[in-house]
Amino acid sequence: MLHETDSANNILELSDYRVGFRTERGLAKAVDGVSLSLKRGSTLAIVGESGSGKTVLNRGIMGLLGANIIEGGSAKFQGEELVNTNRQKLWGTKMAMIFQDPMTSLNPVMKVGNQVSEPLRLHQGMSRKEARDRTVELFTLVGIPEPAKRFGEYPHQLSGGMRQRVMISIALAIEPDILIADEPTTSLDVTVQKYILDLLVDVQSKSNMSMVIITHDLGVARGRADEIMVMYGGRIMEKAPSETVFQEMKHPYTQALLSSIPRLNDPKHTRLTPIEGFPPDIVDGPQGCKFAARCKYAQDTCLTLAPEETTIDKHTYFCHFPVGTDAGSEALKSNEDKGFTAAGLRIKSKGEVV
Amino acid sequence: MPKPIRRLIGLLGLLTIVSMVTFGAMNFLGDPLFNILGPVAADVDNPESLKVIEEAKAQYHLDKSLPERWARWAWDFVRGDFGVQFSSSGQPPVSDLIKERLPRTLELMAVAQIIAVSLAIPWSVLAASRANRRTDKISTITAFAFVSIPSFAMAVILFYFFSVQWDLLPDTYTATDPFWGISHDHRLIQLILPGFTLGIGSAAAYQRLLRTDLITTLQQDFILMAKSKGVSKRRVLYSHALRPSLFSMITLLAINIGFMIGGSLVVEQFFRIPGIGSAVVEATLREDFPVVLAIVMIVSAGFMVFNYLADYLYTLIDPRVRNEDTSKPRKITSMGM
Repeated sequence: MLHETDSANNILELSDYRVGFRTERGLAKAVDGVSLSLKRGSTLAIVGESGSGKTVLNRGIMGLLGANIIEGGSAKFQGEELVNTNRQKLWGTKMAMIFQDPMTSLNPVMKVGNQVSEPLRLHQGMSRKEARDRTVELFTLVGIPEPAKRFGEYPHQLSGGMRQRVMISIALAIEPDILIADEPTTSLDVTVQKYILDLLVDVQSKSNMSMVIITHDLGVARGRADEIMVMYGGRIMEKAPSETVFQEMKHPYTQALLSSIPRLNDPKHTRLTPIEGFPPDIVDGPQGCKFAARCKYAQDTCLTLAPEETTIDKHTYFCHFPVGTDAGSEALKSNEDKGFTAAGLRIKSKGEVV
Repeated sequence: MPKPIRRLIGLLGLLTIVSMVTFGAMNFLGDPLFNILGPVAADVDNPESLKVIEEAKAQYHLDKSLPERWARWAWDFVRGDFGVQFSSSGQPPVSDLIKERLPRTLELMAVAQIIAVSLAIPWSVLAASRANRRTDKISTITAFAFVSIPSFAMAVILFYFFSVQWDLLPDTYTATDPFWGISHDHRLIQLILPGFTLGIGSAAAYQRLLRTDLITTLQQDFILMAKSKGVSKRRVLYSHALRPSLFSMITLLAINIGFMIGGSLVVEQFFRIPGIGSAVVEATLREDFPVVLAIVMIVSAGFMVFNYLADYLYTLIDPRVRNEDTSKPRKITSMGM
């Protein structure tokens, strides 16, 4: 880290942040040492497949995980240490969250208008009338037609896209310093997705709040986040300014994630390129690099030694044999020649997984 | 056919069947003539007595066939005439007896249900918010204890402590005292101990259901959402989680009204409340058909009406049910009527 220790400018600073769940088998290390800093007014996208720890990381920061967890390391919000403290005073005032599924995240027996005006009345001391007016204003802002009429409707009377707009108005009503959006568009159809994402970015830039978008879709992050962090097995794999990730990705996992997205200009009947295997066991995980078992580049070192952090400019990654470097190309070539990796994953000569 | 009318027809049909079954069953109980006439009823060898017996039989239509007697009774019943008691005087008429006694039992049941619900709600919220922790485990054991203690034992225990030992609550019920008021001379206060006895088992049963439903609700995303909005823990429980969790409890509450009348038998006897419960016991022992029939009809009609009300309550609680056919099971199976 070169000149990033300007903590006054950082709204969120994690160093070696860890979250574990007590289970019968032992401690499940869902987040295993994450360090990052988020500047005021900027957007971070956390990308990774299911089970990579991205949701736990964010709920951990929010302090929404309940009592059965063990937190470690440090997480500072506006200079204040969060780890092992009660964060209730930050909820609804400085932090807000948007959840993945607007179908289940709104109270089915409460009018949507009241769900938006609730934090206004609780935290901003507004009267019923003031809160109502503000809610209608917010509904207009997020593009809900007939906002005054919608105020008195229940979630089941609204479409998915409308419900997600209601969720966003709740977040906006709070006027948080940081907004965490946990897969905000995953359950919506594609046409609505773009609208919701652009809306989020739009309100974010207007109100100068910081935002964390969690997604499994690199396409969602592209062009909307200032920085992208790729997570796997509870750890950071790679972290870089948005375009750098796409143009100079260093981690084989990032590469695998990107190539698993089908492209429109692919010829017909092109096989999808999945990442073989499953995320690692987080109770009794691998010793070395978490991704080694599924990585085409894996060498013996990867299995025994966890890679150190490499930071070049603002680009951080954890890999022994990074993509696009001499070491990386050599590792891939030797695996292709052998036909399998150090972890025993069989590969074809062109790097295609069998 | 519109739904309310369909339901009304169903309700009337069911009441008809209930009355037929009760009428038939009562007939097997024995000979009511003894209570009407006294020892004369057994003296069939004496022609004079026999004449009296024949007259009485004719007067009470006991010489007619069973279906005819039922039809006569039903015709009177729908016109509001519940008949005379099968006793020597036949007085007061059954409808007067019901008018006098029914309100007392209704008061007792209302007090009991209010006590049960107002205990069950905070109790369930407390247990659910600490699910599977010590508080919850203790409350589960307590609930099972309350369900298992029979009401006569509960009556004795409560009576002994609250009335005899600590002298906090009155030990007598006086039917002529006014209802509203907070001194020992008001029936509202006199009904607290009986109401508690009758309601505590229900409270425990409601607690079991509501706790489970609350735990399920508390795992929903919208609860997490409410928390993240900065809603206090208390408010999350009472204004976000409670309402969508009430379905099973309301279903049980409506069914329980029928059982409570059964339970009020013991409680009315113990606390000397001359209500409908004690009336039905006395009437059954006396083979007093008209009284038993009238009470059975009132209880079953009340039971059906309350289950109908419960269906209506669902729609108040959950807007999603409002436009649906509420007789179809959704989250729980409704009682149908």
